[in-house]
Amino acid sequence: MNNLMVFGGSSHPSLVNKICANLGIKPSQTKLGKFSNGETSISIGESVREKDVYVIQSGCGHVNDNFMELLILLNACKTASASRVTAVMPYFCYSRQPDIPYTAKGAPLISKPKDSYTFESSPGTPVSSVVTTQRPKSPAENAGSNLTVLENVRSPKLPVLEHPSPVKSLGNGELHKSPSQSRIPMVPERKENSSELGSLFNANNAGYKLWVAQAGTLIANLLTTAGADHVITMDLHDSQFQGFFDIPVDNLYCKPIAHNYIQYNIPEYKEAVIVSPDAGGAKRAASLADALEISFALIHKEKRSQLPKGPPDASLTSGGGATVSSKPLISNMSSLSLTSQEMKLSSSSSKYVQTTMLVGDVRNKTCIMVDDLVDTSYTITRAAKLLKDQGATKVYALITHGVFSGDALNRVAQSAIDKIIVTNTVPQEKTVKFLGKDRVHVLDVSSIFGESIRRIHNGESISMLFEHGW
Amino acid sequence: MASNSIKLLSGNSHPELAEKIAKQLGLRLSKIGVYQYSNKETSVTIGESIRDEDVYIIQTGTGQQEINDFLMELLILIHACKTASARRITAVIPNFPYARQDKKDKSRAPITAKLVANLLETAGCDHVITMDLHASQIQGFFHIPVDNLYAEPSVLNYIRTKTDFNNAILVSPDAGGAKRVASIADKLDLNFALIHKERQKANEVSRMVLVGDVKGKSCILVDDMADTCGTLVKACDTLFENGAKEVLAVVTHGIFSGSAKEKLYHSKISRMVCTNTLPIDLNLSICDQIDISPTLAEAIRRLHNGESVSYLFTHAQ
Repeated sequence: MNNLMVFGGSSHPSLVNKICANLGIKPSQTKLGKFSNGETSISIGESVREKDVYVIQSGCGHVNDNFMELLILLNACKTASASRVTAVMPYFCYSRQPDIPYTAKGAPLISKPKDSYTFESSPGTPVSSVVTTQRPKSPAENAGSNLTVLENVRSPKLPVLEHPSPVKSLGNGELHKSPSQSRIPMVPERKENSSELGSLFNANNAGYKLWVAQAGTLIANLLTTAGADHVITMDLHDSQFQGFFDIPVDNLYCKPIAHNYIQYNIPEYKEAVIVSPDAGGAKRAASLADALEISFALIHKEKRSQLPKGPPDASLTSGGGATVSSKPLISNMSSLSLTSQEMKLSSSSSKYVQTTMLVGDVRNKTCIMVDDLVDTSYTITRAAKLLKDQGATKVYALITHGVFSGDALNRVAQSAIDKIIVTNTVPQEKTVKFLGKDRVHVLDVSSIFGESIRRIHNGESISMLFEHGW
Repeated sequence: MASNSIKLLSGNSHPELAEKIAKQLGLRLSKIGVYQYSNKETSVTIGESIRDEDVYIIQTGTGQQEINDFLMELLILIHACKTASARRITAVIPNFPYARQDKKDKSRAPITAKLVANLLETAGCDHVITMDLHASQIQGFFHIPVDNLYAEPSVLNYIRTKTDFNNAILVSPDAGGAKRVASIADKLDLNFALIHKERQKANEVSRMVLVGDVKGKSCILVDDMADTCGTLVKACDTLFENGAKEVLAVVTHGIFSGSAKEKLYHSKISRMVCTNTLPIDLNLSICDQIDISPTLAEAIRRLHNGESVSYLFTHAQ
């Protein structure tokens, strides 16, 4: 370990100390701070000449500040003649594009912390009398949930959480600064403004489809530009992300420790079901289910382009193949009477309708939801409700990166999730404090990172870590 | 000017300036949405097509809490325009962030200005317009053209029209700015003095020595930026100790961080003049502003039309 040096950024000092303890070395000396004008200032206290340098910085907290700090640290080490500079990003920021409820026109919907959440998708998750058989909700209910969405958009005064940060929205060059507490950008407060924002998304530039810029490639390029020779990260949201880099990227998996945790800490895990809360994570969840040799279920989010106009009795079957009886006529009547209101609503809010459905049988079983990232917690809290509605006895959520931004902790606290198991790629002190030790278990990933740093430093293979963990 | 081939985009750092520039050019700002999610990541939405357009993105380096956010915003905006097939992307950065971290002043110090230059290029920037770079050598950090505009013509204009400059002497508060001040003094045909400071740490000033005679004169302190204002206030005190009649300060970039406001409030500076390269919310009666948006607008116009920009180095708009 002669030439090995580990520097820690300011985002997650406790993880840095743990990784260093695993390596049996001390974190190298740095001074991290800011100049009075807000510019990030760093100084490196030890010589790094011809050393193998690892800089650990997680993409959490004030992301842009931490990311710039990482870039400056990498650059400083590089220009100070380090032989190799490796960026260790336990949680890779900007790796996932925001998964927020947008209206059809692209204007983001807003949410605010509430005393109670319904955890319903819009329209609500369909619940049928037949196990694992789904059907879309009636339009009457759809209209109802659309109304609540609209209310959210219009409710002006949003309470400030502990991280007041300016929410930026630029319509016609006008600045709106207001505190944010959700990952969802807020629609400006006054009504005139919301029409202004509407004009941004409504736009008379017909035919131009709005798109949100993908920062992924940019982040990869910036790291390379700053001088990173190697990147170590964990459970990248998309494994394709590795391809954005021209330098080697070691994507570690938390699967082995998750596997271990389930085996030893979840009673009768052989009877449990691994659930992927969305289709994107199906592969990750399925591989864990395979390894544990237990069954697997999937929650599928569906976006319908239009509210169902006719009687929505098209039934989807799975498992038993049971069908739902066609809807009573009275419901049809109500749906017809509401059609005009619906149309009005859809012109001002959403033409799209999101429903979630479960594929697989969870009745009277323990469910373990597996996902790589929980940010706003919309997906997992809704999924938990669906699972409970479908008769699951206990719902665990096994998460690699618990970012829990905005009112996520609040949502999780009130959700049907019985226990959250999360790793410390992002600091979890707040989560544990908020949800209590009984509902949160933090898995330590420092040993995996420590071992991978040791192996990379010594030029050994790290593929063994993928299977067995450490 | 063909309005269908130029697009002005503005980040969140200084929308007023962007608005002014757009007005000067007779354009409207393109519709974009720049958001910050609650997990503090920045998200950019471009609201209209910029395919094959000449894109100008206006974003300045400002904000004690948000300077990195604004920088990331700019990088993501540039990248978004690049991937949206813009023909040319020009970053208009009136106040270049990290401009003072431009050298390895001690062992292993980061040259962040160089890093920022590289980041801008990596993001896909084709051209940079900036103003009064702290060190003009920063232009050499780039592999793309950098137009470093000067606030000097506007400052000259201000001194000529709004001050009684006949009995004035120009003073540079540090040796580094001597060249800048000497050039202004030449053009106004005035004398100039210099204050030499012995600095031990960043943002801290120790001893000051005045070179030149300021007795009975009104002094105009000229610098490229006023940050914590420690230098300016100390320079002002030094000038009064040496018999100055009154002291004005003219700076290009008014950053005014930390306790700058209090320092200025308690100082003997009679007027604090800065340009609007950054948004300023000092609310002090002694403050005055020079609008440099015409210079930036003209630079954009000339750049877009492929005309020479050097005219702007000597003429205020």
